[in-house]
Amino acid sequence: MSPTAVLHSEWIKIRSVRSSFGALLAVFAVALVFNVLLYATVGGPEPDGAGDPVADALFQITFAQIAAIAFGATAVSSEYVHGAVRNSLAAVPHRSLFFAAKTAVVAVAALGTGLVTAFVTFFSGQAFAGEHAIGLGEPGALRACVGAGLYLALIALFAAGLTFLLRSAVAVMSLLIPFLLMVSFVVGDVSAGVADYLPDRAGRQILHQDPVGALGPWAGLGVTALWAVAALLAGWWAVTRRDA
Amino acid sequence: MTSIHVTDLTKEYGGKRAVDRLTFTVEPGRVTGFLGPNGAGKSTTMRLVLGLDRPASGTATVGGRAYTALDEPLRTVGALLDAQAAHASRTARDHLRALAVSNRIPARRVDEVLEETGLASAARRRVRVFSLGMRQRLGIAAALLGDPAVLLLDEPSNGLDPEGIVWIRELLRRLAGEGRTVLVSSHLMNETATFADHLVVLGRGRLLADVPMRDFIDAHSHARVRVRTGDPVLLRAALARQGYAVADGADGDGRWLVEGATAEQVGAVAAREGVPVFELADERASLEQAYLALTTDAGAAEFAAAPRTTPTREV
Repeated sequence: MSPTAVLHSEWIKIRSVRSSFGALLAVFAVALVFNVLLYATVGGPEPDGAGDPVADALFQITFAQIAAIAFGATAVSSEYVHGAVRNSLAAVPHRSLFFAAKTAVVAVAALGTGLVTAFVTFFSGQAFAGEHAIGLGEPGALRACVGAGLYLALIALFAAGLTFLLRSAVAVMSLLIPFLLMVSFVVGDVSAGVADYLPDRAGRQILHQDPVGALGPWAGLGVTALWAVAALLAGWWAVTRRDA
Repeated sequence: MTSIHVTDLTKEYGGKRAVDRLTFTVEPGRVTGFLGPNGAGKSTTMRLVLGLDRPASGTATVGGRAYTALDEPLRTVGALLDAQAAHASRTARDHLRALAVSNRIPARRVDEVLEETGLASAARRRVRVFSLGMRQRLGIAAALLGDPAVLLLDEPSNGLDPEGIVWIRELLRRLAGEGRTVLVSSHLMNETATFADHLVVLGRGRLLADVPMRDFIDAHSHARVRVRTGDPVLLRAALARQGYAVADGADGDGRWLVEGATAEQVGAVAAREGVPVFELADERASLEQAYLALTTDAGAAEFAAAPRTTPTREV
């Protein structure tokens, strides 16, 4: 089997299913719309410029990550609707290759979209920020933009890995979205320490100019990467061991 | 040669044997009908051959190799398992393109199989809007994509209109005529009788028969001859002397049915007696009758309807 051919095939699959390709575009669209609305109407999350200017500039990533979860989940779950995976595995019986190709395509698509989203929305908001506007020269800004792209890709992979395991986008999204939007929020205020190691909070350290908490920006992103790797290992185990 | 070899294959789901020490071979150049009641293990066997499920024991090979060891398997084996398996929001063309690309099958084959299955005009429509018959054709198109030497088709005529059924019959005959190995499962006996040369019959996961279709029908039906003669009295007496039971045909048109005899035997008696015979033919059982005789004997049907009992009521 040619890995290039299998990668190409997986790209066609993602490209040709509305839900997954739509979710990928939504990562960018949600971030852009939210960011422009926030800056154009009230001048940003903290318009007086009192907060962390880098974190404010990338506030929209919190919302884009929901679309990233949807992308990672639907890109994989489309295989588990009506047993489509049987067609896929009949074409590519080498299961690790099938898994690796799909994961790689999700990673590259999410990273590309994530980076574009981070940089474009960084500037789109600043265009409305007036006197408080910052550029990429601001300390931590470039790191935060690159980190935001990586973060979105890791979150998509986290969701993809879980979907290989649970075989349902609905299950994964109803698990992850409330978790990221609420649990992490609530628990985060109650107990610092453990909460710093949750997949989303750890990874979002890199969006701050001067992150507070146990983890530094890159260490935080590393923790999110570990979560993603753990989910992918579980997914790989399920794909290679289960009957299709 | 690209035969399918199934050897001592066993598969259990939750302690229940779906396929039980199954051994048979599917040869090239003929259509092998794969029969059995619901739940007999036909689809499971196909999944095991394709390496989608793992057997508890035993092996299944295609051309002497495990399916999972084939490089670019769609070029060797084409399969239709479930016509619903194409993602509803993809177009027919994209569905086939993703499969073709993974096995480096040239893009022109996608258009060829769409043409061949009559879907060319629907190629850019989403599978969501397809009728069951169109999905079935798309599944068959996918199976034909790699111009494979071996075809495994699970209920290919499901949902096809009468024209489609004639089409699939001719397609199967042609594919076998080209020397390909063709395994077709079905629960429609009269349909299977029109295209199969050979039969593999399962019941409760076990092999009940692996024989040419002609032999299968002969083995599971008793001989009976239909005869019409110019001298009924003489022939009837002659046949009775030979120990044959003669019954009037149901139509009352002068045709008789001779039980337990072949046309050769009745013809010989008539010739010896000098009785003119206008009509003489073996009454063959249909595949359906033969199949039911076998599966009833074997107690093979797992989900047969319970016999109707008349409820008794106290007055």
